[in-house]
Amino acid sequence: MGFLYKKLSEKDKEEIKKEAKRIMDSFGKKLSKIKELPKEGSIKRENSIREEGPGKDGSPDFKKRILENAPNKNKDFIIAEKKGWE
Amino acid sequence: MVEKMTTLEKLKKYLEKIKEKDKDLNIFLEVRPECELIDEAKRIDEKIKDGKAGRLAGYVIGVKPNINVVGFHASCSSKVLEDYKSTYDATVIKKIKEEDGLIIGMVNSDEFACGSSGETSAYGPVKNPVNPELIPGGSSSGSAACIAAGFCDMALGSDTGGSIRNPASHCGVVGIKPTYASVSRHGLIDLSMSFDQIGPIAKNVHDATLLLDVIRGKDENDSISLESGKLNLKELGKKKKFKIGILDFKIQDERIQKLIDEKVKEISKKYGWNVKKVRIEYIDTAIETYYPIVYTEFFSATRKFDGRKYGKKIEDSCGPEVLRRVLGGAEITRSEHEGRNYYLALRVRKLIEEEYARAFKEMDIIISPTVPRLPHKIGEKITIEEMYSYDALTIPSNLAGNCSMSVPVGKVDGIPVGMQIMADKFQEQKMLEVGALVEGFGERR
Repeated sequence: MGFLYKKLSEKDKEEIKKEAKRIMDSFGKKLSKIKELPKEGSIKRENSIREEGPGKDGSPDFKKRILENAPNKNKDFIIAEKKGWE
Repeated sequence: MVEKMTTLEKLKKYLEKIKEKDKDLNIFLEVRPECELIDEAKRIDEKIKDGKAGRLAGYVIGVKPNINVVGFHASCSSKVLEDYKSTYDATVIKKIKEEDGLIIGMVNSDEFACGSSGETSAYGPVKNPVNPELIPGGSSSGSAACIAAGFCDMALGSDTGGSIRNPASHCGVVGIKPTYASVSRHGLIDLSMSFDQIGPIAKNVHDATLLLDVIRGKDENDSISLESGKLNLKELGKKKKFKIGILDFKIQDERIQKLIDEKVKEISKKYGWNVKKVRIEYIDTAIETYYPIVYTEFFSATRKFDGRKYGKKIEDSCGPEVLRRVLGGAEITRSEHEGRNYYLALRVRKLIEEEYARAFKEMDIIISPTVPRLPHKIGEKITIEEMYSYDALTIPSNLAGNCSMSVPVGKVDGIPVGMQIMADKFQEQKMLEVGALVEGFGERR
């Protein structure tokens, strides 16, 4: 499977799935050979809670721009079929 | 202010060049309407004349399409978001606009920033302006190529595992990956949230530093962002002594390492730098540590692309590399694995971070080649592992969260080679001062 963009068939997708699993398995194997491991890292922060202000006034046409991006919409809301995307 | 041309004159020069050459190079996805650009350039020139212009007045800037700029398509170079128009400005864009930078348009990249070559875009590969047969590197392929082609002064890219530094190296320009959390990610469409950073690409260290200084800083819209202080551009190019570590790591193409070693030898002699080899344990597992984290975080990040609110469902419309990461992430996060590989990767990441912290107690700077090999020809078949190996030397900085940059230092086979200059977290000033000396900025002052 190459890197150039192309439309994928169901067969391609199956092949990619197997390939992804193979890569992850081989990477996992290499990492599991490391003996002394620390606990997983985190970012040290002095203050983890942000100050909440009164809120901001959004741009008046923000809602219009959001709706313009929706594939299916009514006048004032986005239409999403129940379970239609599964 | 840059050069002696007005913003309008410069803009016209760039637009002419884009019209003439971009059909071959495939760099721009979207150029802002000419009349709008001209009006804004005139406004900026008026402000310059009145002495009221911001720090980026006179600079023309290209943007990677995973960064939101209101009114532009933030397509991520994907069919998934081809019709998606940004509804707001990313924090970095707001800052650029406040300083009178002129945004010219959106440039091509790897699809969803997934790639190291610039070949995975749904809109076709970007060509390297230095040699159009070759890849420009990725994923910020268009951001580096637009500078190399002379289409604008500066560009924004994003760097998750080398995506700014790698194309900067192949295209012969300067690229900076800032310290993690020093630049707001608000408005960046994420690839891997614990690595992603937006950063500048420019013709020289001075311009890249200026753009970095404008965009960095704490932002209430990015909860992990931190204050990072102002950069002092006046210090760039001043002769100073540094303790330099040369990364002890065997790369595929010895000619690249030789070029880097010779350059360090020459500069250290001139400036009296103290140089020694430095070893970072576990660096040979960087790729294996990085990808399980990226696959997992990318899988999580892409669950919003379900085709309901905007765009198309990602699994139905993306290319092979994006799908590989989505499906790989789905596999890792399956409940029966109990997050084993992901947590294992996080722990090795911590180990590498500690190794860098140890090294930076001794050294000011660690130097290596940016990319361990020369770029391949567009369309040439290479394995996934070979493709991932392009980032073997850039990924460690993302794992450690420190800052690093690529500065062009010469050519091998006529192809530009970048030197990677790494410094500890929030030590950008030091890194940039070394970068300017490597570039020879001191001699031009």
